[in-house]
Amino acid sequence: MNCRRAALLAIMTALCVGIQLAPRPPNVETTSLICFLTGFLFGAGFGAILGAMTMFLNGFFSPWGFAGIIMPFQMAGMALIGFVGGVYRKLLGGNPSKMTGTKILNLEVSLLAAFLTLIYDVLTNIGWALPSNTPIIAALISGAWFTVVHVISNTLFFGGAFFILVRVIGNFIGENTWSSRKEVS
Amino acid sequence: MELSKRSLIIFGLGWLTSLALLGCIAGYYHMECQNLLAKIKEYEGCVMRVNICINNGTAVWYNGTLVLAGCDLLSATKRIAIVNYTYWPSYKASFVDAINNVWKNGTHFWMWYRWTSNGWEYGPVGADTYILSPNETVMWRYEKPNYSP
Repeated sequence: MNCRRAALLAIMTALCVGIQLAPRPPNVETTSLICFLTGFLFGAGFGAILGAMTMFLNGFFSPWGFAGIIMPFQMAGMALIGFVGGVYRKLLGGNPSKMTGTKILNLEVSLLAAFLTLIYDVLTNIGWALPSNTPIIAALISGAWFTVVHVISNTLFFGGAFFILVRVIGNFIGENTWSSRKEVS
Repeated sequence: MELSKRSLIIFGLGWLTSLALLGCIAGYYHMECQNLLAKIKEYEGCVMRVNICINNGTAVWYNGTLVLAGCDLLSATKRIAIVNYTYWPSYKASFVDAINNVWKNGTHFWMWYRWTSNGWEYGPVGADTYILSPNETVMWRYEKPNYSP
């Protein structure tokens, strides 16, 4: 990993933790976007590690208090988002703008974000339901509106910003974002 | 435009997500409804339903208005309308001056009736001293009374 890439990753990690800890409306976050983006740009493994580390730190410093037993579920959920970012990049292959229109890609990434956010919320609800002996379905249903807010906000963030950020960061790190192999060496 | 297999799979996941969210929302409101019904059942002995009509020329019915058991007519009316009233110490009762901003004047007043087996009957006392019974039907009517006030 070269210095610029290492610096960028450090910034993204700090950004993720900072955003997680900053005052914000409940369940509106851009950490998922950054983890997915990191996975996309630097490889699935790296995205997964960033997601897990962010939620690990967030679990200790969150203004809502120590995450406790939910923490591993949050780590797993965010790691999955980062990992899928890398997998999605592999699925896209070469320069996708030559394969399909940008609108399709934006829609794809929005729907993928919606699905991954739902999985994340299901995982964290399981993490809350198991120790409190609450039926998992009841836990999911009682938090339905929080999930809706989370899914909609992430869908909008991903659809509106993901490919713009890919291009901006691709230009910044000075490489062809679409064609080079992105696994961190 | 031909969609790739990847796009179709992702669109399918999006469709599943929207179905799951709709299911959660439907479940949420079903659970809320069950909770409220259980609450009403829990307070069954403490609450009652009454039917109130407000007639200022146009009758508007508030059937099944939920009030506390032993509630007086004035309090029940305040649940469904904006009521202005004056307490008269000499009568030890309150009299309604206005309902929903329709004020009494020199000729017209707010009178209340209760539904009996003989039809509508004038309210015998002030609204704040009349205790409603479960499922009772009452009516406020803006009118020129039959007697001289």
